[in-house]
Amino acid sequence: MGLMQYRANFLLQFGVGLSSAVGVLLPMVFVWQTNPVIGGFTLREAMLVSAFFLLLGGILGTVVEPNLGATVDAVRTGTFDHILLKPVDAQLLCSVRQVDPSRLWEVVTGVLVGGWALAGLPPPTPAQILAATLMFGSGMAAMYGLWVVVISLSFWFVRVDNLRFLLGAVVDTGRWPVTIYRGWLRTTVTVLVPVALVTSYPAMALLGRLELQAALGAVAVGLGALLVSRGVWRAALRHYSSASS
Amino acid sequence: MAGAPPAVVVEGLSKTYQVAEKAPGVWGSIRSFWSRKSRDVHAVRDVSFSIAAGERVGFLGPNGAGKTTTLKMLAGLLHPSAGELRVLGHRPYDREADYLSRITLVMGQKQQLLWDLAPIETFELNRAIYAIDRGDYRRRLDELVEMLKLGPLLDRPVRNLSLGERMKCELCAALLHSPQVLFLDEPTIGLDVTMQEQVRRFIFECNHRDGATVLLTSHYMLDIAALTPRLLIIDQGRIRHDGSLESLTREVAPERRVSVAAVDPRLAELGFQEHQGRMIRTVPAEDTNLLLSRVLALNPLWEVGVEAPPVEEVIARVFRSEADPRVEARDRG
Amino acid sequence: MNRVLDRAFTFFRVALAEMVAYRAEMLIWVLSATMPLVMLAIWDAAVADGPVRGWGQVEVTRYFAVNLVVRHLTAAWVIWELNHLIRTGGLSTWLLRPIHPGWWSITETLAAWPMRLVILAPLVLGLILWRPELIFWPELANLFAFPLSVLLALWLMWSVQASFALLAFWIDQSMGFFSAWVALWGLLSGYLIPNALLPLSLGEAARWSPFYATLGAPVELLLGEAPIATTLLLQLAWSMLSFLLLGVLWRRGLRRYGASGA
Repeated sequence: MGLMQYRANFLLQFGVGLSSAVGVLLPMVFVWQTNPVIGGFTLREAMLVSAFFLLLGGILGTVVEPNLGATVDAVRTGTFDHILLKPVDAQLLCSVRQVDPSRLWEVVTGVLVGGWALAGLPPPTPAQILAATLMFGSGMAAMYGLWVVVISLSFWFVRVDNLRFLLGAVVDTGRWPVTIYRGWLRTTVTVLVPVALVTSYPAMALLGRLELQAALGAVAVGLGALLVSRGVWRAALRHYSSASS
Repeated sequence: MAGAPPAVVVEGLSKTYQVAEKAPGVWGSIRSFWSRKSRDVHAVRDVSFSIAAGERVGFLGPNGAGKTTTLKMLAGLLHPSAGELRVLGHRPYDREADYLSRITLVMGQKQQLLWDLAPIETFELNRAIYAIDRGDYRRRLDELVEMLKLGPLLDRPVRNLSLGERMKCELCAALLHSPQVLFLDEPTIGLDVTMQEQVRRFIFECNHRDGATVLLTSHYMLDIAALTPRLLIIDQGRIRHDGSLESLTREVAPERRVSVAAVDPRLAELGFQEHQGRMIRTVPAEDTNLLLSRVLALNPLWEVGVEAPPVEEVIARVFRSEADPRVEARDRG
Repeated sequence: MNRVLDRAFTFFRVALAEMVAYRAEMLIWVLSATMPLVMLAIWDAAVADGPVRGWGQVEVTRYFAVNLVVRHLTAAWVIWELNHLIRTGGLSTWLLRPIHPGWWSITETLAAWPMRLVILAPLVLGLILWRPELIFWPELANLFAFPLSVLLALWLMWSVQASFALLAFWIDQSMGFFSAWVALWGLLSGYLIPNALLPLSLGEAARWSPFYATLGAPVELLLGEAPIATTLLLQLAWSMLSFLLLGVLWRRGLRRYGASGA
């Protein structure tokens, strides 16, 4: 039975990765086979959005979630004191302490899907690639900032697991091109939880559809999120040390 | 009591676990993918004892000695690998509803209380689960609430209770159905001294009032010394002693510590040594009287104390003398 | 019988109290599972240029409004609870009680209904205000078949989840298997894609799957898109099958639990 268990685990890592990619890509294929252009995106163009979504999920899962999850636990159990004692910036330390390599699988899938999508589209100009990189960077910064804010809340409220859960659900909507959404849904994914900045905006940049105004807005949101999160984090630290002394 | 059948009968009880061996780290996992070893861990080996109805028995031993494993087999959670056991005439591992309604197992580190509700809700749930008659339930609950002083806790969410308060509520939940046999696994673990004392007194009262049989394990020697006239010492899966604390002390630590509340060179001549403002000497138990008369002959007004070695010391000696053939011989004798 | 009623009543009352204690979490859980609303937006855009296979914007809105409600009436979370109980040994406290722990779990699952409906009500109301034409009057037969179908779906969902949870007796990362089931479920149950809009042969095959029986079946029953008798029978068959499997896993799992340390 023991041997079986290890084989099963081994296959499992592969299977879980596969099923999460399938869960992202197949619904998109099925939706687009009813209509070749939805929200201004062809299937191949929408796949580009999926590629960035898989990249986002992979990076969040590999680097951000394990660390921030560990931080929440540290605050709850009191081992956070050890982090504060180290002569390194606590936020930096909390962000790089551990990685979960099993989620790298999604990054690989994301690159493959992105490659496939780009192969069938007109090649992007260097300026478009630069813009896409900038968009993805600002979007990631915004997401990271948001996660830091959620974690900071754990200094005040012990139970933030559910909030992370809700955040995960909103992030999940980022897998569809943002042009499909209207009204409050669009506001949510571009400003409130700016997941569209990471997924749709870089794809639109590569397709040459991103307006300068929107691009500048995205950079502003990214930088703003970083600044705000830094402020919230500091306030949280002050609260922590005043509460525990 | 003499004619009553024993509450617990254990004969030749053994429990062997198969534990997978895995080298640490990712590489270890990968290697064990091809070749995996498992080894047998003998948690309990050939243990026999019987407990009369209404008896209080303490189960003592270091971590991993097999106490909890034995208790879990008695409560029907684990299957024995070999041997026979009967509790109240039932085979515990059949887990018959009738059997489970007549026993309880309290685990100091696991809880049955519903975390986000007031304890009274778990009590109500248990009333329904154990099909306790409403009148009986009311009476029993009042009784337990009074003994454990739970009054102010009943309506507060469990998560807001302290560890000790929670433990008291656990005990209440576990005893609502008036079980005839109480298995208690580390019931005082992590509690402060006053709370430990309250729990101890409660267990004693339960045994006294209901005539329930009590078998408890503990790390705290005080639990054992204060609560259980009979001691089962288990180490590495085997019973090392079955009897009272006194008989154990007589066998393993047959000496006394004589201490005099004075510092005097004449005492030093008698072999005493100074220790924190007193003079102390340890002698074989049979020589105690002789030494006392000599000391008092020097000065009859000295305050003199005679003590057996502390319980911890006695127990520690049992476990240390693992290779000591005398203990083995005594066990058999 | 008296004892059974007393148990049922007390269980339900305590479980309801638990759900009230979890109201804040429940709000977040319900809001986290509003994927049908997102899918409504997606499909709304997909059929914006004209109906696809007879599905226009009204049909899509109707489908996902019912989908949202059914999703929450058939929600179980026994897998997380049971998995946790097995891995931490907390299952022991339940095995010491003279009742099957499944009863408590089922009660909890049902007791979540009132709270979920209260949270969903404003969402559904919002949908109706947005598109009043989504209101429809089902046939009487469908109206009666619907609750039955929902209960069967919940029963199936619960026993499938419990079965996956029991894998924890044998496998450390048993939750991984469940995520594979969830991925397939999203595709084939009608949750993300109405069965009729799947590629045709796949949709036909999916109609017989256990996935469809957990969600698409009750939704389409209420909408009058599925044959009543066949659909209910299919659901019943899958429910019984998974329940049998659950029974086998439970007995074998307990034997293992009892052998290797509780």
